[in-house]
Amino acid sequence: MILDLHAHTDASDDSRAPIEGYLKWLRKKRDLVPIDGIVLTEHRQWNPDVDYRDLEDRYEIVILRGAEVETDYGHILLYGVNDEMTARFDFSDVHLDAQTVVSEVEKLGGIAAPCHPGRPTIGLCEHYEHKAPLEGVLAVEALNGGSRRGENERVGQLMGAFGYKGFGGSDAHLVSLIGICATEFERDIRDVDDLVRELREGSYRAVDFREQVRAARG
Amino acid sequence: MADPLADIDRALLGQVFEQSISKPVTAEQMIRYAQACGETDPRYLEDGPDLVANPTFAVTLRREKFVPEGVPRDLIYRGMDAGKDVEIGVHVRPGDVLTGVSTLHDIYEKTGRSGKLTFLVLRLVVENQRGEMVAVIDQKMMFR
Repeated sequence: MILDLHAHTDASDDSRAPIEGYLKWLRKKRDLVPIDGIVLTEHRQWNPDVDYRDLEDRYEIVILRGAEVETDYGHILLYGVNDEMTARFDFSDVHLDAQTVVSEVEKLGGIAAPCHPGRPTIGLCEHYEHKAPLEGVLAVEALNGGSRRGENERVGQLMGAFGYKGFGGSDAHLVSLIGICATEFERDIRDVDDLVRELREGSYRAVDFREQVRAARG
Repeated sequence: MADPLADIDRALLGQVFEQSISKPVTAEQMIRYAQACGETDPRYLEDGPDLVANPTFAVTLRREKFVPEGVPRDLIYRGMDAGKDVEIGVHVRPGDVLTGVSTLHDIYEKTGRSGKLTFLVLRLVVENQRGEMVAVIDQKMMFR
């Protein structure tokens, strides 16, 4: 099963992509981006009232939700967000303590995974150059669709050095970029609990569809 | 670098700092705006009973103040235009009188590749003479 673990809709301040735009695009482009679901990770927020079940049924695409928060070690994706987490952390705070986020999110039933680690300023690699490594990180975003040349390449070294698992996400902010990088899981994922369990314990790998999307554009 | 917006009193958020009222909108104004936008749709270009303004027409509403009292006036020269979000309401038709109400809507931070960014959002809500919402325009300014 293939999921794009990192995407932003127009609920994020820097995206103009409506959720339904993503779903229509994925239905139309299934031969190019054969993904089964997406995880929406809006910037610095969590809206408990959003319900995408109707859209999931209509488009037959799994829609899960997480969040992307900002910390002193860069940006971190949170999966398995719940009320306790939103009570514990102010998601809009751009100065969250990364170690606390990683440790507490795990205790509260989720997983915190640094994204685009190879990116300047907001990626883990740069912070590890002058700060102690975080404890308890299990996985990082090995492949990010929004990264520039060289940024994804830095992550392999990081994973090797610290034994992190790697997943992929498009980091789409525009409809036509959804699914260009994603994660192939060995087992099926039907809900957020499955996702957290598989990210912690399961088998998965980052998959890259950028080349075939580029080739199709000509 | 120090946050250029740190000294702005957050109590200003949501407070109305200007209300401006237009003269009745004319067909000529609407057509000239549509032409300037490169419109080809006759709904926006041909005078007559079906004429309506291009949906973004509300951004032309003139205002005297760009920022509220308490926000340094030179601030706008130190920031960068980070775009507008425009929520479009009912059509504007000839004879409509538009009222615009401006508020300091939000101040927030984020971090990007190049470091910390601070955003200031100015909201202009435009209504017609019947109190119908014509547009909600969020103008963002970005500061590094």
